[in-house]
Amino acid sequence: MAKKTYDLLFKLLLIGDSGVGKTCVLFRFSDDAFNTTFISTIGIDFKIKTVELQGKKIKLQIWDTAGQERFHTITTSYYRGAMGIMLVYDITNAKSFENISKWLRNIDEHANEDVERMLLGNKCDMEDKRVVPKAKGEQIAREHGIRFFETSAKANINIEKAFLTLAEDILRKTPVKEPNSENVDISSGGGVTGWKSKCC
Amino acid sequence: MQQGRELQEEEEDGGPERALEKSPFELTAADVYDISSVVGRDLLQLSSGPRGPGALARLQFRIVRVLEMLEALVSEGSLAEEQLRLERDSLRRELEQLRRAAVPTAEQLSLGPDKMVIDLTDPNRPRFTLQELRDVLQERNQLKAQLLVVQEELQCYKSESVLSPRMGCKKDLATNSFTPKAALLHPLFLIYIINSLGQEATSSRHKMS
Repeated sequence: MAKKTYDLLFKLLLIGDSGVGKTCVLFRFSDDAFNTTFISTIGIDFKIKTVELQGKKIKLQIWDTAGQERFHTITTSYYRGAMGIMLVYDITNAKSFENISKWLRNIDEHANEDVERMLLGNKCDMEDKRVVPKAKGEQIAREHGIRFFETSAKANINIEKAFLTLAEDILRKTPVKEPNSENVDISSGGGVTGWKSKCC
Repeated sequence: MQQGRELQEEEEDGGPERALEKSPFELTAADVYDISSVVGRDLLQLSSGPRGPGALARLQFRIVRVLEMLEALVSEGSLAEEQLRLERDSLRRELEQLRRAAVPTAEQLSLGPDKMVIDLTDPNRPRFTLQELRDVLQERNQLKAQLLVVQEELQCYKSESVLSPRMGCKKDLATNSFTPKAALLHPLFLIYIINSLGQEATSSRHKMS
């Protein structure tokens, strides 16, 4: 075995109503790009991005779920393995904000108890179409004791900050230990996974 | 006793001859028996007793009366039959209409509240189950993960080969004789890639089980 390329593997999950921009948020973070054409995610997809925090290389395996109700049973089976969950709503879509409580309930029902949660109000570049005031987002986040950012995948606002903050919060409560040699586990479920590569 | 009373009643009504005076449509079976007995009595008188012109004329009159009654009943009967036929036909038509109208209702009734109708001629009709979609997605994501691993290893070979042609990622494979480009094109390298893919697949399968 050669030396490892990273020290920790964190599994993150993006949830929220269909069309709020979960895939775009992830695409901005992983590929630093933005696409205006809307392609509804089928079931579940993922991206991988390695970041460096506190001198540790952390591989982020980020699961992107379909917001549509018809994929509900598929997507909820991926909650269990997540160490961090980003709940995204659209500041120009009141319904997506109203549904936050529904998504929080899903987290309570299907995710690990100690999962790190974060609320994102996306599309904050579209100020003229805003229907959800920033204060309302801050209030609901405060009520549930979770972090909150307004983001824009299009204008690249707060995207990296949100992911790095979530990763930091997870790192903070991750016990310091020698990483084991598990490979990427892409099946649903499973918890904290150390990572060791074969080369370099 | 009862028979006596009936006889008495008949006599009060004017005897069996009264039956011939009734409207044919009011006749009862008892009236027919009365007529039969009256005609029978007349025939008995004609055949046995002295022939009076009165008896013959009376019988003739009675036979004509009976035939009139028969005619009235027959024409009334055929009229009634025609009416019944018309009524039957209209009821048949009505039943047919009701049956036709009831066809979609019957389909709706056989469907529960959570059922839906699938148009088998629609090329975009739903065909696959959620479990099949789940399996396909899982396989896609596994392959994607394997691809990422291979890409990473490839990158590592590229960079290490550029830095030091003598040092490959795997010492047993990247020997001194390999230049960076030749290493990537060498069949052994491809075999290595394929093998490591196989290992990945095996290890991930182990993990899943």
